[in-house]
Amino acid sequence: MTTSPLAQAVGDLEEETAVTLVQDKLAKGEAALSILEELQAGMNIVGERFEEGEYFLSELIYAADIFKKAGAPLQEELKSATQSSYGTLVLGTVKNDIHDFGKDIVATVMGSNGIKVIDLGVNVEHQAFVDAVKESGATLVGMSCLLTTVFDDMKDAVQTLKDAGLRDQVTVLIGGGPVDQATADYVGADYYCKTAQDGVIAAKKVLGVN
Amino acid sequence: MADAHEPNAGPGGPGGFAPPPLFFERMQRLQTAVACGTPDRVPLSLVMDLFAANTMGVSYPDFVSSVDIAGQTMLGAMEKLGDVDSIQFPTYAPDVLGMLWLAPMKLPGRDLPEHSQWQMDEQVRIQREDYDKILEMGWSPWFGQYIGKHLGAAAAAGQALQEAGPRWTMEYMKKGYVVFSPLTVDHPFEHLAGARTVKEFTLDLFQIPDKVQAVLDLIMAEKREQARQFVRAVGQPGLGYWVGSWRTAPEFLSPRLWNRFVWPYMKELVEIVAEEGGTPVLHYDANWDREIERLKDLPARRCVLELDGKTDIFRAKKILAGHMCILGDVHPAMLTLGTVADVKAYCGRLLDEVGPDGYIMAMGCAIPPDAKFENVKAMVDSVKR
Repeated sequence: MTTSPLAQAVGDLEEETAVTLVQDKLAKGEAALSILEELQAGMNIVGERFEEGEYFLSELIYAADIFKKAGAPLQEELKSATQSSYGTLVLGTVKNDIHDFGKDIVATVMGSNGIKVIDLGVNVEHQAFVDAVKESGATLVGMSCLLTTVFDDMKDAVQTLKDAGLRDQVTVLIGGGPVDQATADYVGADYYCKTAQDGVIAAKKVLGVN
Repeated sequence: MADAHEPNAGPGGPGGFAPPPLFFERMQRLQTAVACGTPDRVPLSLVMDLFAANTMGVSYPDFVSSVDIAGQTMLGAMEKLGDVDSIQFPTYAPDVLGMLWLAPMKLPGRDLPEHSQWQMDEQVRIQREDYDKILEMGWSPWFGQYIGKHLGAAAAAGQALQEAGPRWTMEYMKKGYVVFSPLTVDHPFEHLAGARTVKEFTLDLFQIPDKVQAVLDLIMAEKREQARQFVRAVGQPGLGYWVGSWRTAPEFLSPRLWNRFVWPYMKELVEIVAEEGGTPVLHYDANWDREIERLKDLPARRCVLELDGKTDIFRAKKILAGHMCILGDVHPAMLTLGTVADVKAYCGRLLDEVGPDGYIMAMGCAIPPDAKFENVKAMVDSVKR
């Protein structure tokens, strides 16, 4: 399968080219959903280059910004499209932790990879994860922290999902500076994501996206 | 001035005070390790703050409210842990971190619930237009205004530490402890990334690279001379200076960006500290695997590489053996969630593969507040085998 010029521009981090190509396509009457798919194909190139060690977090952040800018004119039309995302992720930094650096980057990168993100912010109450899952029907929950002192809060948040009878219908992804696999085991998460891209890979796997 | 969190508080013995023989024994152990030699025993060097409060039964609000309570509490925790060669800071005031990342801190009892860990309040505090203002005004005048607007508590904490540092260093020395690296020289990138936030600053690096570099160069023009004068004025040969890395870690930036915006400034600051007789302590958080080879360009047997558990310390040792002392890296999560057996096994591996030459046993980054005391004790005792 050949890569379209738009996907290639996103993959190569050519911001102006990507923005112009989207405008041209819209002017020619191409469907927003089809253009969105090309932008997402570009993000796949970025993800592959990250995995291969050619790109780093800096490129993930820039690519996500290009995706957002280039995709902005599509938003109105996409609102009426039946499926513009692969699935939904409820995301937040857990209670007693106000760091948003990692969480924000995950939100940006997930969003640009076709996953709808409901960002609950920082210092999120355990019950808020439950409420957001119920309201949105999300099948993914992402929890972030930068402090070892909130591991128990993360554990309690997972337990709250369990108590609400939601644990079997959601996959819990965790990440953040001090987090490792032992932390995931301790809090009862399904995936430890070392990087934002790990999160994308895990989410796509869960959602059955190739 | 350079970003001195706790100036004039080093192992040389301020005020003509004569430390006990144990102090010199420990100092010799550390100096041998820094020079990549093999000491009589692998030395220890700890970083702690709220862990000390938990250990000594001091409330978090009390600990962060006074540099004297913090100093007393940390000294008490050192004694409780037993035979520890050194501590990196003699006392602490988390507000001072605002001077590094240009962002105010939130403290337990003041801005957060009483038993919360202190945290940085990271928000976009400068806009792209501020780069022009910095270039127009010069760094120090602009920074002075910024402190007045956002960093009053940070500046006050810096002053309190400046006054208390030497006093508390002497208290540690009386008990035979070395205060290893109480001073800092900060990378200009960390300032801007903190004030812009990582996401916005990363976009700046791609979208307005020349302007960002002009600002970094401007800050560096002041910093290089200030750093030199600062280390010279402290005048304690061998004293450690953190030249740290948080947002500048290679994990976050592609080589193209890192080679342009990080390494030249980092290398120069390290060289200045070493030239003036200090010991650059490369407190490098996050993953540095990609650039470990690069550290061979830094002065041989003069620096200490301090790792936090994210970099492959065993590989780093293979690359840097005989060139640079390594300090670390018992992972904070292991100290919190692991068992004594986990810690003993990992420390044993560190001693075998990273030591005994050119190695200092330590936690990764800092002992977390909720680390289990028995785990930290196991790390401390591991060097006595």
